[in-house]
Amino acid sequence: MSAHFSITRSVGPWLLLLGASLFSGNALASVQSTQPPLRPITISLRDHAALRTGALYTLHMCVACHSIQGTRYSELPPVLGLDKQTFIATIGTNGQHFHDTINSAMSQSLMLKFLGVAPPDLTEIAGRHSPAWLYTYLTSFYVDPSRPTGSNNVVFYNVGMPDVFASMQGLQKPVIVKGLRYGSPAEVAVGVRPLTAGSMTHAQFDRTARDIVTFLYAVAHPHQQERMRLGRWIIGLFILLSVLTYLIYRVYWSRVITAKQRWWKAR
Amino acid sequence: MNDIPRSRVGRVFDWFDRRLPVSTLWRTQLTEYAAPKNFNIWYVFGSLALLVLVMQLATGLFLAIHYQPNPDLAYWSVVRTIQRDSRWGWLIRDMHVVGASAFFVLVYLHMYRGILYGSYKKPRELLWLIGIFVYLALAAEAFLGYLLPWGQMSYWGSAVVTNFVTALPWIGKPIAQWLRGSFVVGLPTLNRFFVFHVFLMPVLLLALVLVHLIALHQVGSNNPDGVEIHENNNDTGWPRDGIPFHPYYTVKDLFAVSVFFIVFFWFVFYRPDGWGFMLDKLNYTPANILHTPSDIHPLWFFLPFYAMLRGVPDKLFGILAFACSFVLLACLPLLDRNPIRSIRYRSVLYKSNLLAMPLSFIWLGYIAHGQATEHNMVYGLHVTEVFYATFLVLPFFNRARTRLTALIWLLVCEAVVWSIDAWMYSIHAHGWELMLQTNWIPSLYLLLLFGLAMLVPAWTKDAGQLPERLTAGGVFH
Repeated sequence: MSAHFSITRSVGPWLLLLGASLFSGNALASVQSTQPPLRPITISLRDHAALRTGALYTLHMCVACHSIQGTRYSELPPVLGLDKQTFIATIGTNGQHFHDTINSAMSQSLMLKFLGVAPPDLTEIAGRHSPAWLYTYLTSFYVDPSRPTGSNNVVFYNVGMPDVFASMQGLQKPVIVKGLRYGSPAEVAVGVRPLTAGSMTHAQFDRTARDIVTFLYAVAHPHQQERMRLGRWIIGLFILLSVLTYLIYRVYWSRVITAKQRWWKAR
Repeated sequence: MNDIPRSRVGRVFDWFDRRLPVSTLWRTQLTEYAAPKNFNIWYVFGSLALLVLVMQLATGLFLAIHYQPNPDLAYWSVVRTIQRDSRWGWLIRDMHVVGASAFFVLVYLHMYRGILYGSYKKPRELLWLIGIFVYLALAAEAFLGYLLPWGQMSYWGSAVVTNFVTALPWIGKPIAQWLRGSFVVGLPTLNRFFVFHVFLMPVLLLALVLVHLIALHQVGSNNPDGVEIHENNNDTGWPRDGIPFHPYYTVKDLFAVSVFFIVFFWFVFYRPDGWGFMLDKLNYTPANILHTPSDIHPLWFFLPFYAMLRGVPDKLFGILAFACSFVLLACLPLLDRNPIRSIRYRSVLYKSNLLAMPLSFIWLGYIAHGQATEHNMVYGLHVTEVFYATFLVLPFFNRARTRLTALIWLLVCEAVVWSIDAWMYSIHAHGWELMLQTNWIPSLYLLLLFGLAMLVPAWTKDAGQLPERLTAGGVFH
């Protein structure tokens, strides 16, 4: 036989391949993207001051383009801890009726023409995304000359929304690392650094962004407080009922258990 | 009875009773219906599932009153009219959402109970088969209902599933169009899904559950010992190991209901979306026909089937593979012909195989929860093979087997698994390295099962002697 044949040479590469493939894991063919870290945030639906500031900015700025169709202005005063008159005097209804749903000032078809995509409705945006995601999104727009709007976002690559916070927050530049986008190597923005100063300090702007997130969370979870309060009672009721029904069960089954025990002894 | 003068109320009852078999049904089906004494916790899921069915009908009724089956209005009728404008609408909607998931948890546990204690064996084969149809109807009901909120995942999930039929050669596309009533999922689809969800399927489901119960009461319940209680009656014809269903099991079920509601309402009040498993996060966005999400998932209860579907590179074969799991379930009475019903008296390896069955099913769900990468697809294919193997090896345990039989089973099963891989490779479905990453999973499972059967023959032996009557090994004693 030929001297070229050797078991190591013929099987070896396969074994190596087997070994390599067993431990190479997921990275070979996955559609992964580098995930930028989300900025942590704590919000409280009892923080009426935050909710009011959030409502003010949302209803006066965001609602220029975004709708909150699921919510009516009339639902907001109890959420913000205000009465109807104070709400109308301080925050207002943008010229709409008090019981109207919150609709954007711009028409959606025009926005589609301007930006290529209609701004999403904000009613359940805090159900779709976590508060941390929304907070990071709002605070991490950066200058990107390659985009038609001149800006981009760290957690929402190639976002259609322009950097409407530039006047308040100032412009920002991206922190770029080498990473993956949809599985291919790419330069990925994972954070932002300040570029120019805005009308607010960074701490002020971060607080405003947090207030907006708090308000959006309250809008998406309108029954949160009621849920928590009612839940305790209902669950308490069923715990009590479980104890009672268990006692009833023991009373009824005591005879059966005795019969069983008798049967055990007979064996 | 006739000696005692009847009260006025009693006479009114008698008037009805002579015309409608109220007391007869009460007696024969409840107070004089003998149930085995030793039901354990596995036996509460059936009645809990019935309770959830009633709850879904009740909450669904109120939802249907406010819901608008129209693409322009559907999403907002749920988000605004039901959840915000109607009093307690949010509670009813969340009960319906959590109820759907609870239904599947209970039905899966109920089915596994049947598998554990051999409740599909003679004389309960038909009862089992009807149960499979109940499950299929439930799956259809859940799928149809998922489109109604008209969120992104509702829309694209339905688009994917109605696309399955196009896998059929020639007639596939016309049938898909006929099902949707349109070229894509749209107004006609939403209208018919609504009608099917609130009218057709609930009626079918109720009818099937009724037939399931009638079949159950015809043959009587099995029990954790798998001993037929009706074969050991006392002089009056009452089974020695039987107790009346009412009041004994009604009070026990009442306790089970109370405990179930603690968990159920914890979800309803504190986690109505079940961490995104009961209500997908993408469904918080209205359906957008122009924007396909990058990752389309079914809800958790269909995830294992989704992994099977994704695992096979051909659409038609994928659907066949996925349909095959229902066929295997239905064929369980044919596969497992061992006379011993209960897992308590079966061999060690049979017990292990029965444990691998739900574990591989859950594993499949975990895989399908990941992204649709090629790695996950191949991984899904190989775990599907393990899941199917747990059914197909059941005939091996029908009687005591020799080492040689175990060896033959091992070789045949491994050959089947490896030829599926060879076939996948021959059509260039996946690269070798990807196949090799995971094809040790079914191979190792079969090797362990039959290898241990050869090494330790004692582990393939069932209990030598079955008890003649129920044992006292219940969960409360």
